[in-house]
Amino acid sequence: MSAADNKNSYYITDKEVSFKFDGKKYIGYEGDTIASALLRNNVRLVARSFKYHRPRGIYTCGIEEPNGIVQILNEHNEPNTRATVKQIYEGIRVSSQNRWPSLNLDIGSINNLLSPMFSAGFYYKTFMGPKGFWKRIYEPIIRRTAGLGKPPKEFRSKSIHQNHNVDIVIIGGGLSGLITARKLINTQYDVLLLEQDSFLGGILKNSKKIKKISNKEPNEWINETEKLIKDSKNIKILKNSLVTSYNFANHLIALEDKSVGKKIDNNKSELTLHKIRTTHTILANGHIERFISFRNNDLPGVMLAASFEKYIHRYGVVPETSPVIFTNNSTTDSLLKSLIDLGHKPAAYVDSRNKDKIGRKLLNYLEKNNIPFYINAEVEGCDGNKKIKTISIKKSNKIIKVKSSMLCISGGINPDIHLFTQSKGLVKWDDKLVTFKPDVSFQNTITLGSVSGNFNYEKTVEEINNKLSFLKTKNIKSNIELNDINNFNIKELWETKHEKKSNWSKSFIDLHNDVTTKDLKQAVKEGFDRIEHLKRFTTNSMGTDQGKISSINSLGIVSKILKKKISEVGTTTYRPPYAPLSFSAIAGRNTFEFYDPQRKTPIHNWHIENKAVFEDVGQWKRPWYFKKFEMESMHLAVQRESEQTRKTAGILDGSTLGKIEIKGKDALEFMNLMYTNAFTKMKPMSSRYALMLGEDGMIKDDGIVCKLNDKHFIVTTTSGGAPKVLADMEEYLQTEWPNLQVYVNSITEQFSTFNISGPKSRDIVSKVFTDVDFSNENFPFMTFKVFDYMDTEVRIMRASFTGELGYEIYITPNKALELWKKIFHFGKAYDLVPYGTETMHLLRAEKGYVVIGQETDGTVTPLDLNFNWMIGKKKKDFIGKRSLTRSDTSREDRKQLVGIIPLDKSEFIEEGQHVVECDRLPKRITAPVEYLGHVSSSYHSPNLNHCIAMAMIKGGNKLMGRKLFVSSTYGTKNIPVEVVSPVFIDPENKRLVS
Amino acid sequence: MILINCPYCGERDQSEFSNGGEAHVARPENSENLNDKDWGQYVFYRDNPKGIFYERWVHSHGCRKWFNAVRNTSTDEILAIYKLNENPPSKESFINTLKTPSGEPKVGSGNFTVKK
Ligand SMILES: [Zn+2]
Repeated sequence: MSAADNKNSYYITDKEVSFKFDGKKYIGYEGDTIASALLRNNVRLVARSFKYHRPRGIYTCGIEEPNGIVQILNEHNEPNTRATVKQIYEGIRVSSQNRWPSLNLDIGSINNLLSPMFSAGFYYKTFMGPKGFWKRIYEPIIRRTAGLGKPPKEFRSKSIHQNHNVDIVIIGGGLSGLITARKLINTQYDVLLLEQDSFLGGILKNSKKIKKISNKEPNEWINETEKLIKDSKNIKILKNSLVTSYNFANHLIALEDKSVGKKIDNNKSELTLHKIRTTHTILANGHIERFISFRNNDLPGVMLAASFEKYIHRYGVVPETSPVIFTNNSTTDSLLKSLIDLGHKPAAYVDSRNKDKIGRKLLNYLEKNNIPFYINAEVEGCDGNKKIKTISIKKSNKIIKVKSSMLCISGGINPDIHLFTQSKGLVKWDDKLVTFKPDVSFQNTITLGSVSGNFNYEKTVEEINNKLSFLKTKNIKSNIELNDINNFNIKELWETKHEKKSNWSKSFIDLHNDVTTKDLKQAVKEGFDRIEHLKRFTTNSMGTDQGKISSINSLGIVSKILKKKISEVGTTTYRPPYAPLSFSAIAGRNTFEFYDPQRKTPIHNWHIENKAVFEDVGQWKRPWYFKKFEMESMHLAVQRESEQTRKTAGILDGSTLGKIEIKGKDALEFMNLMYTNAFTKMKPMSSRYALMLGEDGMIKDDGIVCKLNDKHFIVTTTSGGAPKVLADMEEYLQTEWPNLQVYVNSITEQFSTFNISGPKSRDIVSKVFTDVDFSNENFPFMTFKVFDYMDTEVRIMRASFTGELGYEIYITPNKALELWKKIFHFGKAYDLVPYGTETMHLLRAEKGYVVIGQETDGTVTPLDLNFNWMIGKKKKDFIGKRSLTRSDTSREDRKQLVGIIPLDKSEFIEEGQHVVECDRLPKRITAPVEYLGHVSSSYHSPNLNHCIAMAMIKGGNKLMGRKLFVSSTYGTKNIPVEVVSPVFIDPENKRLVS
Repeated sequence: MILINCPYCGERDQSEFSNGGEAHVARPENSENLNDKDWGQYVFYRDNPKGIFYERWVHSHGCRKWFNAVRNTSTDEILAIYKLNENPPSKESFINTLKTPSGEPKVGSGNFTVKK
């Protein structure tokens, strides 16, 4: 009793291919899947189960496989690959998963004997405490023994994405799909035919159920059809393409595997993710056979009957020449016939139906061929060690034991309604077919063939002509001749009764996740009687196979326990994807440097040459600090940069700063509405620090507004805020004030910006721009000049973000580097230092300047920052004005900005710490600790030589000079601090206006 | 992902657009005359119905134009699209053709797959 070849298969060639499974070499044929090749070599044990580590074998012949899940070692260790789908090629190395140390000797299988512990809800109930045990003890053990394969060692991008816009998509290139395609050949419709396999034909190649179509052999008809489609101008076929998602608006996702049966080429994409938009979707994706639960229905050797048949015809391997067949329906007739036609004889035929349902024809056939058969009978269970040895058949309460190594089972067939329900179509229960079938479509969806519940192949053509009569096509005339003995009939059967033999005996409802029928009963008993709850509690149908062969069975069993109709129990929600797809397929080429664009300033390479360490600010790469020498620490670098800037001069590449140009007749009115400040009396060619609020009165962004004249403004925004500020301006212009004639445009990348500041900055810029008068009288603080320089226009604004004398220089990016170098040429004599964002933050904190997003968090008003002077109170309106007088925003105990310094100048306060009134925190926190606020910024000031911090604390304005405390990460003792003004350096602004 | 028919560019993928929330909520002109409650109503309160919803969209990665749409929030079907200066279509014109996914009730939650 072992496997045999079928030389008349459809697909297999006689070209030998060698491959390795768990280190051992085997020979298969080109076209074999891992599963068919292993069956050919009589390998039955291929996996250990998820929870109990029970021995498992190949159960199906396709995407629905719950057991045969393997790791492909030579494909970057790709885990969780279905052995029933993945084709072999010369040199492929495959390993089993979830076993240790080996498949044959697995230590985890002790779980099976401990199984009373592992029942439904086990994880939820068991690993509850004590505290810390989950992370240190439970999780590491569970991770080692449970679970699926090991993750690949490295991520690689292996897919590309492709978009399609078509009129009709046909999903499935089987009998109905191909007839439909023939109907659509050379019509006005753009058609895409998607087939998950590497060839067309579906049921025609999986079985011998159909004898002839239009008087032609099925294979001949398929080839003819494929040629007709290929010659047509309007139909495209995509093979190896599995539809995984059916979304709203007839949007489909299909994954095409381009390396089927081939070694992967690292230089080529292996997968194409097709994103398809269609007007009509035709589902012709067939059906999936379901199993039956009985004692040890998971032993290697149990296989679905239709899958067994598929191995015979498609892959030319008869997995066992004398299996036992156990069925409750007529679809197994063709398996019986196939075996006998090949000269093999089943060891027994067991049917739960009575003789009227089975029909005289089949009974005669069994008798004529001398097959032992049992009707009104059930398989009670099977026994064996890692492989079936005996099968116990129960008839009229007697047990008959039959020896065989394989058992082919069929519990009926289910229309594959997964995609149909994803599309939000409704299904209904069919008592005659004992399954759910599509009822009402929600989108433009048509189901044809067995997915629609039409299990009678003779009626396929009629169904297609009827359902597609709304299309402008001719009717198809085609005659389908069957090989089958009977038309479809079935007797409901979900589970057979069995006597408990040992702890080892189990009747499974979900093979993938090791859920037993007993678990279902226990879960219902514990109150999980809603199917969605039951699913989560037991993990039934939550594996990577989504319970394709068993989820309807669980509904059947639950309906019996609850004494309800299955239609009342309902199904769980089907969600995409239909079958697992890897993250790299979804990512496509949007990986690594292509995941998000990097924005670099024109000075970027200079920064690299000068040992800049970069920081990501949005998409921008900004220098964080510059190392003077390789070993210089960040702290030292920042202290050096800050000190030097206040001593002589420093320069910052501020090109990332957002810049927006506002032009138009009504620009002044618009600016007055957008910002809190009043711009009417502002002189042309002057600038002003400005605030933008939301309608809720909270600060949204800040920047400097330059007024060229009443019709022309240029504003800067924070580096990260530019797109949002521009979008907000557009929104108000279009939706609220369409009467205003204003145009806004981003000019962020049209200008590079440098901020030079420090007492010597005037000397340096005077040497660079020799024609410009930088004297205090002619170029006062917050004014700007535009002039020609280096054959381009340069704008220089006197402004400062450090509290020192400073200038902001704007120039076209292609001249930026040249100018930057020039400034350093003249700056050398003054020890001009380049500085990064960290020093920028430190310098502004010394001066008490806030950073939007650091001191503010969307709950801070200008009043909270003592920015009353920036509010144009006389203006009738601006965005957020009314909110500044809301009862909440005018509260006196709001968090307000203050400065904080430690009483002991050697101590350091950390950002994010709480400001409290108590000198230490309780060792055990039993009640909430009253806190006043938090530290928003904190630095060690090199210029004051102690820590300076800013904090947002309740009623801060009234707490000036008070002693408070700040929590620390070391112990429960708090740091005593004093509340001071947030301006630590030059409060009189002498340096600023010097 | 749904398709949105920009009135200026034509049908484009949803990813090119940004949603702007409920439409036809005008910014009060004389806000200084409003009490806190009425102003708060404008700033903080928006409808979130199941079913027909008039809302604003902007073709942010396209023409940057704002427009209005009527969407069935329970199915994401766009029922109508109109420019800012056009009159909104009446609610009655959609009510008879309104679908809910899987026939679930028009109000309340639930996600049934089986026809009752
Ligand atoms: Zn557009």
